[in-house]
Amino acid sequence: MKLELDWTRCDGHGVCAQLLPDRIDTDEWGFPVLAETAVRPEQLTAVRRAVAACPALALRLDNTRARPGAGGSR
Amino acid sequence: MTALLAGSRAVFPSSLGAPRLFAGLDADHRALDLAGHVAVHGPLPSADLPRLVGLLDAVGLSGRGGAGFPLAAKLRALSAPARRVVVNGSESEPASAKDRALMRHVPHLVLDGALAVAAAVGARRVTVAVHDEWTATALTRATGERVDTRTVRVHRTGDTFVSGEARTLVRELTGGPALPPGRRVHATERGILLANAETFAQLAVLLRLGPRRFAATGTPDEPGTALLSVGGAVAHPGVLEVPLGMPLGLVLRHVGAEPSDTVVLGGYHGAWLPTDPALPLSRRGVDAAGGSFGAGVVLVAGSQTCALGELARTADWLAAQSAGQCGPCRFGLPALAADVRALLRGHPAALPAAQRHAALVDGRGACSHPDAAARYVRSGLAVLGDELNAHRRGGCGRPVLGVLPIGRTS
Repeated sequence: MKLELDWTRCDGHGVCAQLLPDRIDTDEWGFPVLAETAVRPEQLTAVRRAVAACPALALRLDNTRARPGAGGSR
Repeated sequence: MTALLAGSRAVFPSSLGAPRLFAGLDADHRALDLAGHVAVHGPLPSADLPRLVGLLDAVGLSGRGGAGFPLAAKLRALSAPARRVVVNGSESEPASAKDRALMRHVPHLVLDGALAVAAAVGARRVTVAVHDEWTATALTRATGERVDTRTVRVHRTGDTFVSGEARTLVRELTGGPALPPGRRVHATERGILLANAETFAQLAVLLRLGPRRFAATGTPDEPGTALLSVGGAVAHPGVLEVPLGMPLGLVLRHVGAEPSDTVVLGGYHGAWLPTDPALPLSRRGVDAAGGSFGAGVVLVAGSQTCALGELARTADWLAAQSAGQCGPCRFGLPALAADVRALLRGHPAALPAAQRHAALVDGRGACSHPDAAARYVRSGLAVLGDELNAHRRGGCGRPVLGVLPIGRTS
C-alpha cells in the first residue's frame, strides 16, 4: 500500500503531520513533507485515520503498484 | 542582440546537413502546399499498428516533446482503440519555435503522421493543438487541401506555460480546466494518443524512408534528425534541423553565436551548461553532460549580459508560470526566484537558501514544473560560480540585457 497525496487538494492544514509525526513533517509554508510513502500492514490503522481526517481530502491509500513515470510530455 | 523566437514573428527554418523535415523549402520559406509536399516527399505508405510500432522500435524514435517519451511505448500502452489522436503543437515553451515552424511550413508532414497513427489505432478524431493564429491558419489551409482530413480539428491553446503540458491539454480537450490533474493519469488511459508535432512529422519521414534509410543520419542510438530552436545572443536565430549527435560548436558557429561561457540547453525545464563545443546534441550526449535535451532549445547567454540576471529573470518567469494549485510550487518557486535576486545583490546567505528551496519543491506537486524549474535554477547556480563571486564583491559590471526569451507575443 502507498500513501498518495493529491497536491491540487492539499491546503497545508497540517492535520496529517500532527497525526503521523514520524512520517510527515511540514515545510516553512505548512505543506507536508512525506518521509516515506510505503505503508506496512501494522501502520495501516494510523494512516487510515490521517487519510480520513484531512480537511481537504487530499490523502489517499493506493493499492496499485507504482507505474513507471512517463513524465510530462510536451 | 536580443533574439526572440516569439509567436507571431517569422521563424526561419534551415538545416545543417541534408534536411528531411525541412526538405524542399525554398529560400523564401514558403509553405509547401499539398502538391509541393507530394513532389518532395512522395506518397505516404500505409501501415497498420504492428507495422507502425515495428518501424518506431527499429529506429528507437524518441518523442520530440520535452520528455522524449517514445511514441511506440504510448501505442503499446493502448489497451483498446484510441478515441482521438492529439497533436501537441501548442509549444508553450517560450524559447521553442520548432513546432510552429513545422506546422507553418510543412504542415502536411505533421498531418501525414497524425493521420497514419489515427488510422492505425482506430481513432475517429484528430485534434491539432496550436497557440497562435498564423499557425492555426496554415494548418487549416493544409487540411482543406486534403480529402483525408474530414475529422481533423485545430484547437487554439491559451497563453500559459502549463497549457502545453500533455495532461493539461488532454484535460482541456475533454471538457476540463487547463490545469494538471491531481492524480497522475496517463493520456492513453483516457483513450487519447497524444504526441508532439515533430514526433508525427518524423514518423511521416520514417514511413517513407524505412528504418535503414532513416538511420543513415544521426547516431546509432538516436538515428535521424532533430529540430533545434536556437536563440539568445546569436546572429541568426531560428529553427535548425540537424542530424542527432551534431556537435554544439558547429551549431553555434552556424548561427553566429557570440562567445559565451555558458549555454542553456532544453529551455527553462532544461539546464545551464558550460559551453563545450564538442558536446554531441543528442539525448544521450546532453544527459551525459548533466543536462537535458528537452525539446531541442539551445540558448546562448553571450558575454555582454549579466548571466546571473538572466537566471533571475527566467527564475521569476518560472515562478509566475506556476498553475498555483500546489503549495510547494506556488510558494516555493517565488522563494527560489527571490533567492536568485538576492544573489544578484550579493547576499551570501542566499545560496544555501536557494539550494534548500530547490530541494524542497522537487517532486512535491501535481506536475513536473517545480522539479524541472528547481533543476534549471540549480544548474544555473552551479555553472555561474564566477558570476556569484563577482556579485558578492559588488557586481559583474554587465547590464541585464534580457537575452533569454520569456513570454510570447502572439
